[in-house]
Amino acid sequence: MSTTSTRDVRKAPPARKGGAPPTRTGRRREFTTRRGLVIAAFMAPAAVFVAVFTYYPMIAGSQMAFRNWNLTDLTDTSWVGLKNFREVFTDPAWGTVLDNTLLWVVGSIVPQLVIGFAIALWLRRRFPFRGLYQALIFFPWAISGFLIGILFRWLFNSEFGVVNDLLQKAGIIDEPIAWLADPQTAMIAVLIANVWYGVTFFAIMILAALQSIPDELYEAAALDGASRTRTLFQITIPYIRTTLALTVLLRVIWIFNFPDLIFGMTGGGPNNETHIVTTWMIKITQQGDYGKASALGLLVVAILLVFAVFFLMATRERTAAARGSGKRGART
Amino acid sequence: MRRRTAALALGTAAAMVLTGCSTMSPGESGTVTLNMVESLTNPARTDLLKGLIADFEKQNPKIEVNLVSPPTEQADQKIQQMLQSGSGVDVLEVRDITVGPWSNNGWLYDMKKDLADWKGWEALTDNAVEASEDTEGRTYFVPYGFYGLSLFHRTDLIEEAGFDKPPATWEELLEQASKIHKPSERRYGYAFRGGANAHSNATAAIEAYVADDIDPAHGYLLKDGSTIFSAPEALDAMETYLKLFEEASPESSVAWGYPEMVEGFSNGSTAFLLQDPEVIATVSESKSIKPDQWSTAPLVAGPSGKTVQPLATAGWGVAEGSKHKAEAVKLVEFLSEGEASTAFTKKNSLVPILKSAAEDEFYRTGPWASYVTMTENPDKYLVVTQPRGVAWWAEWQQRADTDVQKMILGKLTPKELLEGWDAYWTEKWKK
Repeated sequence: MSTTSTRDVRKAPPARKGGAPPTRTGRRREFTTRRGLVIAAFMAPAAVFVAVFTYYPMIAGSQMAFRNWNLTDLTDTSWVGLKNFREVFTDPAWGTVLDNTLLWVVGSIVPQLVIGFAIALWLRRRFPFRGLYQALIFFPWAISGFLIGILFRWLFNSEFGVVNDLLQKAGIIDEPIAWLADPQTAMIAVLIANVWYGVTFFAIMILAALQSIPDELYEAAALDGASRTRTLFQITIPYIRTTLALTVLLRVIWIFNFPDLIFGMTGGGPNNETHIVTTWMIKITQQGDYGKASALGLLVVAILLVFAVFFLMATRERTAAARGSGKRGART
Repeated sequence: MRRRTAALALGTAAAMVLTGCSTMSPGESGTVTLNMVESLTNPARTDLLKGLIADFEKQNPKIEVNLVSPPTEQADQKIQQMLQSGSGVDVLEVRDITVGPWSNNGWLYDMKKDLADWKGWEALTDNAVEASEDTEGRTYFVPYGFYGLSLFHRTDLIEEAGFDKPPATWEELLEQASKIHKPSERRYGYAFRGGANAHSNATAAIEAYVADDIDPAHGYLLKDGSTIFSAPEALDAMETYLKLFEEASPESSVAWGYPEMVEGFSNGSTAFLLQDPEVIATVSESKSIKPDQWSTAPLVAGPSGKTVQPLATAGWGVAEGSKHKAEAVKLVEFLSEGEASTAFTKKNSLVPILKSAAEDEFYRTGPWASYVTMTENPDKYLVVTQPRGVAWWAEWQQRADTDVQKMILGKLTPKELLEGWDAYWTEKWKK
């Protein structure tokens, strides 16, 4: 699945969003009402589904953000303007939550990318049982994030967990570390868990992209006497740049929206100091304050939209530059 | 051809929309189907419920019951959504923490009149009768059992440390637990609750210390109308409680919730644990400690020698939106009396709602005996109703849990914590 999707992404020209190729105007058939009806009828199931199950809940959910929508008392759901947003911004936890979210995204994605890349490079070579290794490495991706959270909660348990046990037996620490009881070590623990979990996805995507690089390029580079590092930075990375950019974009959005692991491991604690935006949103939802949670949800969408626009603009410029000026561009 | 394709597409679309909107049609030949939703779901309990439902259906051939069992974590939210949509639920599990908001929103049916002639009332314990009515006398659920704290303890470790009986007060608990606590040997005194629901044990300590003055109907108030958190004894309670963490509990218990506490006790490393009766079943299955190494004792007391047990409960209720209320009430009655109730409380390890349980051998022996002791001495082991039904209970729980964590992390003193809690409740009740 991953291989096809990467290839699709690479093949699809970004500008062509509509579907009807522009060159067909010459032999375009006459548009009749009946034809329109047929098209509408075919589109109806999908349109109805998307409308009912995506857009309606989204709009219904968004309007809660501007209303007094508390499950504990739904007798008064009057419009309150921006009150819910004000409550989010003035909440003492908001600053910590934002800092944590940034740390969570950056602290997860950088190691995931680096380790994932290394694994993909390693798996690209042929060696005995390569298929088995691939399957084993991709396995974590098939487990639910919440379950992983619970597993790591026990691994990092100070008294009964295997992490402290191993560290002590290896002589690295004398006293057990109370991982999840201290806000700082708790954040490190959830990051370790997330890196372990997410490396897989990068490995899958990058491996798929690597397999599309023609061997001739490497052969040519070898003939020219290019070193390994130079091959990596001037052939491999430029060639798979689009995949890399899209994977990073996807992962940033996913990690941002990935409360499962933290929720399973720390529940946002201790002292609310490992909350990210989405775990905090769940916590507010559990308190029944759907209005405030919904406001927070809209903020998440806004933040991610802004990020996506900037990211795509930045990477498109780079890719264009790379395409336009060959070797010089490849270095940028 | 083309017309046929169009018709086919339209038909498919219509079918998809219709299946999405269709509701359960009334059964044929006068059979009524009840939808029943449970909240505190676990696989063993669901099987048990299905068995009880089968008995009910045998007795009432015209009623069919369809049991819906959402996963526990999201169950209450699922039920909420179902109730909000106004249909699809007839009988449901109502908890002391959900009855307030749900009845407030008009989602629950007051069974008072329907149950007026029910003969099951006489068999119920006083606690059960009391819990089935809210402050205004409405019956939104009939409790199926109670949760209550008792002190799980290691008899062998207590003896080794030179004590001849388990602690009866918080002070004694602190003394014994500190003596047993030796972290370097992976031996811990007390399974401290610092994570989820941390406030529940902290308030249990406070309530024990103010037992003489507490208002039994409002577990957070004193008889003079001020909050329990404002009493000078509350400060003694919190200071002792903090010492229990500092001197007798594992460092990481800042983050301990239910699973870690129970694991700590049942893997043999921790000597004391305050927990609900359902833990009896878990500990009994432990391979690390043998039955003669542990038991339960009544909840520990304050300086006056009295304990205060917050009454935690859940039960079966009927949805206001139900079209088959008479049949639904019948099912609630069935589950709340006789063998169905006995089977449910025994197999779920709950404090029973039937008076007859006190004579039952099952409850008179072993770890259960402390619960009978507590039930039989209501003057020493007081039972209070906490304001769990208030609309802000969920908000309070999260705030209070965070405060307990702050206190044990050294970011809040017991005095500041109590002042905060006093101010919180005084302000909430003023509104």
